[in-house]
Amino acid sequence: MRKIKKILILITVIGITSCSPKISTNFTNPQSKLSIDEKVALLDIEHNLPENIVKVGEMRFQDSAFTTDCSFNSLMNQARNEARQNGANIVKVIEKKKPDLWSTCYRLKIEFYKYSGDVSSLPQYKLKLD
Amino acid sequence: MKIIIKTILLSLIVLLSSCATIISGSRQTVGITSEPSSAKVYINEIEIGKTPVEKKLKRNQEYQLIVKLDGYKSYETKLVKKFNAWYIGNVLIGGTIGLIIDPITGAMFKLKPEEIDGDLKSGTTLKTKNGNIYVNISMEIDPNWNKVGQLEKSE
Repeated sequence: MRKIKKILILITVIGITSCSPKISTNFTNPQSKLSIDEKVALLDIEHNLPENIVKVGEMRFQDSAFTTDCSFNSLMNQARNEARQNGANIVKVIEKKKPDLWSTCYRLKIEFYKYSGDVSSLPQYKLKLD
Repeated sequence: MKIIIKTILLSLIVLLSSCATIISGSRQTVGITSEPSSAKVYINEIEIGKTPVEKKLKRNQEYQLIVKLDGYKSYETKLVKKFNAWYIGNVLIGGTIGLIIDPITGAMFKLKPEEIDGDLKSGTTLKTKNGNIYVNISMEIDPNWNKVGQLEKSE
């Protein structure tokens, strides 16, 4: 009975703590933080990067096996927050794995850039609420 | 008698499997009102309407809430995931299925405005009804705005 209780508690702890995707970041050239009013463009695979940009860093979202909050919109929103923190105004998806038999999550590789032009004018992905 | 007890126990286990999912659902209604009303509400920078407004949001995500009204300071907070006590039903009754299902559906969480040192952001009041939350925001006047005149209907 004690063993069962321990297993149940362990599952609960794992359930509570492990629902976020595994995130790894590498910011090689961080810029000054952006305010919430400054726009950040979200570029999907099919959207091209403009010229005259500076690479700020990169990020990878992976499935931690217990991940549940890993829809494309949720990950892109997290990436946008990370971009603002590090002064990037372009979030570019460079690798995208859709949910499949092996994972129910989107797995993304993202690069962050700083663009001196108007990011609103770029063709971009429009974020939705899931 | 033993059979009755066993049947009741078995029914409880079946009924309370995925406790939180059954009781709370995977989405939660978040209502937003403001004083004054008609302020624009943005969730994750997506405009969802003007106050008063309600939106059903997935429980397994965190959201950024921004409320804007001309002449007033922008209000910004986060809707964060908190533990939904219904999930304990799985542990107490031994609903092992629920221990897995509830995290997947997100029902093991409930959304609440972010608290700093145990307090909500100033100007925020929170009401909970049937597991849903209703946030009222008292907008703060922006001193950078000066009234220079007012249009009136001519007769």
